[in-house]
Amino acid sequence: MKALFKRSIPFTAWFMVAIGCIGLSCPARAALGGDVTSVEADRAHLKATSLEVRPAGAYEVHAIQAPGGTVINEYVSSAGKVFAVAWHGPFIPEMQQILGSYFQQYSAALGAKRPYGRRPLNIQQPGLVVQTGGHMRAYVGRAYLPEMLPSGLKADDIK
Amino acid sequence: MFLLWIVLGFLGFAVGCGSSGSTPSGIPGGGGSTTANVLAIAVDGGPTANQANGAIYPNGAFASATICAPGSSSNCVTVDHLLVDTGSMGLRVLQSAISSLSLPAVNASNGPAAWECVSFVDGSLLWGQVEAATVILSGETAKNIPIQVVSSSGTNIPSTCSNGGVNENTQALLGANGILGVGLEPIDCGAACDPNGGNASPPVPAYYTCSSAPCSPAFVTESNQVTNPVAVLPVDNNGVIVELPALSSSAATVTGNLVFGIGTESNNQLPSTAKAFSLSCDEFFTTMFENQTYSIDPLTCTGSAGGFIDSGSNALFFPNVNDSIQICPTSTPVGDLSSFYCPPSLLNLSAVNQDPNTLYQATTNFSVGNAQTLFTSASTTSNAAFSTLAGPVPSTSGFDWGLPFFYGKNVFTAMDLGQGVQSAYWAY
Repeated sequence: MKALFKRSIPFTAWFMVAIGCIGLSCPARAALGGDVTSVEADRAHLKATSLEVRPAGAYEVHAIQAPGGTVINEYVSSAGKVFAVAWHGPFIPEMQQILGSYFQQYSAALGAKRPYGRRPLNIQQPGLVVQTGGHMRAYVGRAYLPEMLPSGLKADDIK
Repeated sequence: MFLLWIVLGFLGFAVGCGSSGSTPSGIPGGGGSTTANVLAIAVDGGPTANQANGAIYPNGAFASATICAPGSSSNCVTVDHLLVDTGSMGLRVLQSAISSLSLPAVNASNGPAAWECVSFVDGSLLWGQVEAATVILSGETAKNIPIQVVSSSGTNIPSTCSNGGVNENTQALLGANGILGVGLEPIDCGAACDPNGGNASPPVPAYYTCSSAPCSPAFVTESNQVTNPVAVLPVDNNGVIVELPALSSSAATVTGNLVFGIGTESNNQLPSTAKAFSLSCDEFFTTMFENQTYSIDPLTCTGSAGGFIDSGSNALFFPNVNDSIQICPTSTPVGDLSSFYCPPSLLNLSAVNQDPNTLYQATTNFSVGNAQTLFTSASTTSNAAFSTLAGPVPSTSGFDWGLPFFYGKNVFTAMDLGQGVQSAYWAY
């Protein structure tokens, strides 16, 4: 078994927490596209609680819960990369933190001219998919890197 | 059994109440309605539709309200084109629409004035101060409630609020002068934002204080949180009915009513033939579509979403099971349409809504048209109301019965008023 399938967190992540690295003073090593240590960086920055790590064959799901109740599931490949993030709960998560280097691409897509109206997002670009749904107090969404989905995992299973 | 409970509950409401559709007493109010608990609504393309270079807001149902400084009947402004939204709670109005009004601040629990960030599923947001106002809806008054005044300047927005999205703080960006949230809850956040609600730190994005930069997350007591105006009406305060006429395809304008109260007046009784759905987690019923079941886990109240009804969504949003429906392009003459479906010809579909507790079921038929054709074809490009608008969502987002669902139905949104009083439900 590879080490990353155990629940232990790599030293670098513990170090960041130990030096009080919470909030904007941290390196923004956020999740999507990052390695597994960025999951702990997210948890610390968001002041979230680690819920569980669920192994699922070719990948594992790290679940954290932000204050206010939103659950964020971060999907980590066997190579240790976060290839998908999904959330559900009463508050929209901090997108800069969980999208990391993909935040600019996401933000640019939000600025596209669209007809008026409240509606979910369906961003499907090469290299980044972001989809949302729900309503006030019950938000749902996911972001993933389509070329990094492990075989056997369909996009619809990211939740 | 549940339907029997509702009927008995309403007999209790009706017996004690004498009035039956009183007429207004000269208080300024919106629309052409002459009944106090009835507010006229119009799917008319919004305030920008008739402006030079203005765009149409498709399937937006709009109403007017008169907003006054608390305790004043003269220091008032009537604001038109507020989006009627049964999927959110609270009145939010552009500062530019009430610029002549001076409203008192509402404070966070640690003292300073409260600011609020409201995020929407499309990533857009509204940022503004929480202020107290008296809100008059047709002939009924919601006295001295916290509302959100969307800041014209849009400065000092904390990053946990902006989240990469667009702050829709002008009429040109929002397509409306504000949002009238009359959804399932009396307040917009609840215990999670209350200092005694069990959270160690205030959730984000929600409420903030701005006595120093940057604005920081703050708790606000439930009584100071932005409030569903219907919840504080004197009698008709347990829910609303949206009444819109049938629409087979599309139309320039559709008009209807927003009725306050369920079972409290002669004009808002729930008929015995209504299909009523109790909710899991006060949020969702179950919807079954194309061999898929959309429901929330009633024990954990997390995970996937179920079915829900929302006048603030301007289309039906449901998962593209098996990727069988074509999605519109991102680049069209009217902008990015990738949130809508564009099938080559009209699709006639159906889904089943199920009460998660009684397992009562009802089938709803609906049609999906090509959004790009509807928005750009000469015969429909000037229309505001579309019964066949629909778009895709991930399966975890459940089934959103947006405004097209409302055409030809009276849709009852009953508020969560606590156990023993009224559980939230939808009926139609």
